[in-house]
Amino acid sequence: MQTTRYPLTSVALVAAIIALAAHSARAADRPGNAADQERQLIGVLQSDAPKADKAITCKRLVIHGTAAAVPPLAALLDDAELASWARIALEAIPGPEADGALREALGRLQGRLLVGAINSIGVRRDQRAVESLAGRLGDADPEVASAAAAALGRIGNDAAAKILQKSLGAAPAAVRSAVAEGCILCAERALAGGNAARAVELYDLVRESAAPKQRIVEATRGAILARRSAGVPLLVEQLKSADKGMFNIGLTTARELPGREVTEGLAAAVAGAVPARQGLLVGALADRRDEAVLPAVLAIAKNGSETARQAAVAALQRVGDASCVPVLMEMAAGADAELAKAAAEALAGLPGKDVDADLAERLPQASGAARRVLIELAGRRRIAAASGALIEAADDADGKIRALALAALGSTIGPDELSFLITRAVAPPHAADAKAAMPALKAACIRMPDGQTCATMLIAAMSDAPIATKSSILEILGAMGNATALEAVGAAARDKSTELQDTASRLLGEWMSVDAAPVLLELAKTATDSKYQVRALRGYIRLVRQFTLPDAQRVEMCRAALAAASRKDEQELVLEVIGRYPSVDMLRLAVEAAKDPALKDAATAVSLSIAQKIGGSVDVQDLLAKIGHEPMKIEIIKAEYGAGTTFKDVTAILRKYVRDFPLIVMPTGSYNSAFGGDPLPNVVKTLEVRYRIDGREGEASFGENATIMLPVPK
Amino acid sequence: MAQQMARVPRRQFLKTAVQAGSLLAAPHLIPGAALGKDGSAAASERIVLGGIGIGSRGMYDLGCFLPQPDVQFVAVCDIKAARRAAVKNRVDQKYGNQDCATYRDFRELLERDDIDAVLIATGPNWHATASIYAAKAGKDIYCEKPCTKNIAQSLALADSMRRCGRVFQAGTQRRNLPHFAFACELAWSGRLGKLKAVHAHPAGLATASSGWAPAEPEPPKEEIDWDLYLGPAAWRPFNKKLLDGFNFEKGGGLVGGGVLEWGSHCVDLCQWAASADHTAPIEYNPPKDGRVIARYASGVELVIRNDGWLPLGSCPVRFEGETGWVEAGDSGKLVLSSPELIAGREVAEIGGYPATFHVRDFLDCVKTRSQPLANAEAACYSHIACHAANIAIFLDRQVRYDPAKHAFIGDEQANRLRSEAMREPWSV
Repeated sequence: MQTTRYPLTSVALVAAIIALAAHSARAADRPGNAADQERQLIGVLQSDAPKADKAITCKRLVIHGTAAAVPPLAALLDDAELASWARIALEAIPGPEADGALREALGRLQGRLLVGAINSIGVRRDQRAVESLAGRLGDADPEVASAAAAALGRIGNDAAAKILQKSLGAAPAAVRSAVAEGCILCAERALAGGNAARAVELYDLVRESAAPKQRIVEATRGAILARRSAGVPLLVEQLKSADKGMFNIGLTTARELPGREVTEGLAAAVAGAVPARQGLLVGALADRRDEAVLPAVLAIAKNGSETARQAAVAALQRVGDASCVPVLMEMAAGADAELAKAAAEALAGLPGKDVDADLAERLPQASGAARRVLIELAGRRRIAAASGALIEAADDADGKIRALALAALGSTIGPDELSFLITRAVAPPHAADAKAAMPALKAACIRMPDGQTCATMLIAAMSDAPIATKSSILEILGAMGNATALEAVGAAARDKSTELQDTASRLLGEWMSVDAAPVLLELAKTATDSKYQVRALRGYIRLVRQFTLPDAQRVEMCRAALAAASRKDEQELVLEVIGRYPSVDMLRLAVEAAKDPALKDAATAVSLSIAQKIGGSVDVQDLLAKIGHEPMKIEIIKAEYGAGTTFKDVTAILRKYVRDFPLIVMPTGSYNSAFGGDPLPNVVKTLEVRYRIDGREGEASFGENATIMLPVPK
Repeated sequence: MAQQMARVPRRQFLKTAVQAGSLLAAPHLIPGAALGKDGSAAASERIVLGGIGIGSRGMYDLGCFLPQPDVQFVAVCDIKAARRAAVKNRVDQKYGNQDCATYRDFRELLERDDIDAVLIATGPNWHATASIYAAKAGKDIYCEKPCTKNIAQSLALADSMRRCGRVFQAGTQRRNLPHFAFACELAWSGRLGKLKAVHAHPAGLATASSGWAPAEPEPPKEEIDWDLYLGPAAWRPFNKKLLDGFNFEKGGGLVGGGVLEWGSHCVDLCQWAASADHTAPIEYNPPKDGRVIARYASGVELVIRNDGWLPLGSCPVRFEGETGWVEAGDSGKLVLSSPELIAGREVAEIGGYPATFHVRDFLDCVKTRSQPLANAEAACYSHIACHAANIAIFLDRQVRYDPAKHAFIGDEQANRLRSEAMREPWSV
């Protein structure tokens, strides 16, 4: 039996919006279906169905609507509650019928509904509507007149532009902004169509009008860009303007307008600007992309005012090349601390191998401030060719130079020179050097291409080192993370030194590959200190929880973790992982865990959660039966299957599959098959169930083909 | 631009440009003479800010703006009286006065000539529309994501910002976090070899759209302005379940939600990595094995998937080249195919995806008129990629998109889904 009922619930309605449309979209691909779909939808619009249903129907007509749907949709344009839904379809349906319906509506609608129709005409760029819209420019309602102006702008043809042009001077203040905007849109379209002269005419018209300031700003930008190179004087005028808004649009447009002459004009403007604006102008200059930019910025960096030089030096980082090195080096080693800092930054960022070569060549001959700058730059730029000079500097009498050189070596040194850094980190000639050498060694080791060999060298260096040094090397091995490193860190976790045990077990707990799993599990079982056992087990559980693993391996690791866990805290962590990766095997594990009285509640909850996620099967039902719950008395009061207004009574069918557990398993996963057919083809449906469990009544709703797990009423 | 950014410590450059212009960028760069007595910026140097739709996310953003010494927050607009009051209370406490103005209708806030910029955190239904109204009123905009409801709105947003000469920053703050930026740099700089694929985590592919819930008694307009809440969305009666701005009308028409929610972060990062801030993938396939795969004209694949990520926190991305790969997530950590890729570089590990740096990038650009990292053009195309992927999911078939014509090729149904009519009187 099928029933019809109103209204839909919000949940069902939302589902219907999504599901109906999705299935209809696919169904429409099949010949013959689309017309049927549309006919049904039109039928809903023409029926006395609730507005909620008509609203959804409008949405579906976005996909299925044709000229045939236009009249019933147009009829809704007078309905304040449905007009916006109708226009969603009308805007989307191609063809002259929808255009005609919207134009026709202009004659009968008023107020907001009229504004809506005008807006839709604008979106559809209906050129046949220009005359009607022109008539609305003089409407007493400023919202209507403004909407008409905007729509004319969007249509943007010659006729619309002429009408807007004529209206601009006469438009009342409340409409002037929209008319000006319409003119600007027409100008954009003229420019895109190759008619720059017409665009300039329209932009200038707005610039000279009494339109609001922001429209003047927009027209000025457009007027400069439309003029191309001839727009430079107008651009420079803005860059000199005392008005912040016009100056700002000048800065914006200076980045958009192409051409060498623009760059030169901008550079000239820097020289003439007040200091407060020079940095901003240099910034705009540096954002440009022509060959004149670098010479202009370099010239300002050399000869500009103090503020302009600062900005230019920073800009060189973006636009500079090797030709800038001499100037920047002179500044970087100079007395002006601010400028020196900016120049060093710029040198660090300058692109090119030729820059590296130039700096490496300068280092051996350099002294004083220049030497310090070059050492730092060699590190920041990772200039391998500078390593020899840096090793030499690492023996300098000045401890600060030694520290700088050691730090830089961390970024430049190669495998052949690694032993130098190891020595300086483990047994330096000057004890204080170790502070700089150890982080440098870490930086170097992390990037060594042959990590295993590197780890072997570190392990060898550890043998006679003090505990603190060993601990630091373990940190490096942890950061490297390869198999040799893992073995060494694993061994350290069993060292007699508690400090090494602490460091190593922490590093293992943070290991970034599953390779650490066996080491952690073994440590969890056999570490002498229970604190480290727990830490290792938690590290193991972290790997199981977070890393990509084959399903079978994850199950086995969970089983091993449960076996190793002696405390409830870790056992529950494992259960959380089991629930996180639902499968029959995981369910089996959870059911096994439920045999432990201390874990029964948590494991039962995880079991039910898994069952809900993986769906019903005989295996699942059997496993759940083992959890130990008392059998429940399940009664189905009413079950209906369908969507929207159409539902089929499936009470009797569902009752056949009820056992003594809230999980109902049917012979097939398809509701349509199980319930004897599809009550509503091409529509996603829901199953609505009223039931009793042990005498307590409940209700539940299931999406099509979802697992039927009845919530136990409280 | 992307290639240029690879070698530019952009924030530092902006600071220097701003400082050299005697304006203000960051506390340590502010000239003493420009500071007020309390250490904040002098009035002439301040960016005067208003807030539109400030709920929970907006409050977080506000917390990033308020400590900036060159920001003066003066007004809040919200359709809910309680939220207006909460923001006013917080702002007035910050400044020790009662000056924060409150508005129910954002158009009144936009009429104020003294406001330079607005923070928009209304909820996705309003983001694009409010941003475009703000641009037309001459304001710069920091707007939460997702910024648009459909492809047409994405284009309108970019066009409007360009036309109006405004600075726009989408609330995709991961672009201003060093580890994500470094991962993108590896991709576009060629250090991973020729780029093959970029992977994004969408946090689910399910479509979510808002319906017409049963009518409930409508509260007084001063308490909750339901008409303004609906704004550009089609009319429906008041129902408090729909008042969650975060989820209301998240995506356009029939294909909302889906890839868009997190894609506006993760797909956005993939767009950046693929040097695609000015284009979008040209081909989108329907979901297969839980994955949506799109393809750029360059041949690079955009893989939108939920599974198989390293444990690096939420919002992970992965970029794969012919010789290496990098994966990054919200933990602030990176995992690289080879440590050599990061050799000599110190990439700050900033977890928890704070927006502070992103906000600062926006404020600097308000002053310099440069483009922030998540500018309107970049946001436009990353949102188009998400919308187009959602359309492929919805139609359950491959769709091909022409990023020059902004049309699907030979697919009228897909083209019908590019836009959705706005409720009267709203229009962009």
